[in-house]
Amino acid sequence: MLQIKADIIGKEEVMPGVFNLIIVSPEISRNARPGQFVHVLCPSGDGFMLRRPFSIHRVVPGRAFEILFQVVGKGTEALSRVKIHDTLDIIGPLGTGFKYSEDIKSALLIAGGLGAAPLLFLAEELVERQVLFYPMLGYKTKTQMLRYIDFKRLGKKTYAATEDGSFGHEGTVVDLLNRTVHNIRPEIIYACGPVGMLKKISETADEFGIECQVSLETKMACGIGVCLGCACVTRQGYKMACKDGPVFDTRDILWGAEDYEKGRASGCGCDNEAPPETDSAG
Amino acid sequence: MKNPVMPASGTFGAGREYSELMDINRLGALVAKTVTLKPRDGNIPPRLCEVSSGMLNSIGLQNEGIDHFLKHDFPFMKEFDVPVIINIAGNSLEEYAQLCREIDRVEGVSGIELNISCPNIKAGGIAFGASSKLAEQVTAAARYNTQLPLIVKLTPNVYNISKIARAVTSAGADAISLINTMVGMSIDTNTFKPNLGNITGGLSGPAIKPIAVRMVWEVAQSVKIPIIGIGGISNALDAVEFFLAGATAVAVGTANFINPLTMTDIISGLEAYLVDKGFTDIGQIIGKVKT
Repeated sequence: MLQIKADIIGKEEVMPGVFNLIIVSPEISRNARPGQFVHVLCPSGDGFMLRRPFSIHRVVPGRAFEILFQVVGKGTEALSRVKIHDTLDIIGPLGTGFKYSEDIKSALLIAGGLGAAPLLFLAEELVERQVLFYPMLGYKTKTQMLRYIDFKRLGKKTYAATEDGSFGHEGTVVDLLNRTVHNIRPEIIYACGPVGMLKKISETADEFGIECQVSLETKMACGIGVCLGCACVTRQGYKMACKDGPVFDTRDILWGAEDYEKGRASGCGCDNEAPPETDSAG
Repeated sequence: MKNPVMPASGTFGAGREYSELMDINRLGALVAKTVTLKPRDGNIPPRLCEVSSGMLNSIGLQNEGIDHFLKHDFPFMKEFDVPVIINIAGNSLEEYAQLCREIDRVEGVSGIELNISCPNIKAGGIAFGASSKLAEQVTAAARYNTQLPLIVKLTPNVYNISKIARAVTSAGADAISLINTMVGMSIDTNTFKPNLGNITGGLSGPAIKPIAVRMVWEVAQSVKIPIIGIGGISNALDAVEFFLAGATAVAVGTANFINPLTMTDIISGLEAYLVDKGFTDIGQIIGKVKT
């Protein structure tokens, strides 16, 4: 974990309201593992002050890393206005990341909308480790197919669902999973997206006895395990998304508990880095 | 103390995480996160909500209890060349007393801070800090059970803070720290639900700084014991305001989350401020507000 002032060397609006930044940091790019995040001090403005957590989207080994984000509040709005060669104050890499055993042979990566952010880094890692994997991507519509081409290039066979049926399966990525999982038979599922989608995926994983890891989104203050603000309810009690997660094994997560629903219902309303649930193909 | 700057309890843990990002040995003191007699799970999430120039939290004093703290956290803290203050909270007078007895026996503790101002727990906490009678009783109970310097942390959620300050002073407090967070609430306009699982929470950050400065100033008029000023301090000039109002030291809370270097920046900034204004010692500006 480091606090750095890092240069932005690339910025792209990959689709309206969704931005990709390339940020120079040999240290973070070298040490980061898929599923970890960085805590970014967004350029100050309009009454907000806390850092914002972003999954590490991709690394240029030994040189730079990327974050992919959607403008959903004041913090991301300010971040979307940065320019190439601006510097950002960043703490990272943080969190635990996805776990994979050495002998794993096949994986299913399920992303809902912006959930593609941590999973593309994982996909690149799995290619490196020669693990066969199947990307399964859920989108609202054909024009919002975030990182579809990248996953298609890396995965064995790529599945896609759009809510309006404009591309691939018509419906949600969860429907698509339920229709195809018995054919794919992955050893492990990795997923990121809206919490409702993750819960349903974990139910399917349970039913088929497949290990499942998900990256959870929560509000954070410190991002390093001090403030205990980003608690998630697990079978082992409260766990902190910033330090114990953000990746959790779904067997540990208490989704059904009323407390958990209450806890996860909406986030803050003032700013939310996750795509709102209605915005992605969960 | 090397300087009058320390973390506010609960915003720095035991210093373990921040020690990777900043030099703890530069601090005036280390203040541990509140510890209770028994472990506490803390409150239902969401526990955080950012609001204009501040944040609401309802952590609920999640901690592993005093035994775990003394075994695992305190040994880490006392390795630094910095005084260590242990912050405690109880559900009853007897719990405060017992915690003081246990800590009093421990080698290397520089002081105890009584948290009688947490707004996020059902029993104890703020209930002790909102009544001058209870505040006096809990301070007296602690005083009876420890020889260590005793700091009492006050809540701003009261009408007459000076009355509470006088009560704890007469019961034997050696210093007062203020303010803890203000009780607040935020509502999601889409779901109509509160943004915190606990419905209400404690407001901290720059939003509460003017309230804190006012309360430090009022308390400084009422009691002679040292005051640790807390509330929205983010930079050296914020700290200067508290010294001018009458604080003899300051603690930094929410700003640590935003920039882990805040406290060391404030320490350097205060030195520069004193030189710039022609002072040689921070004591020369304490309580010097011209009213």
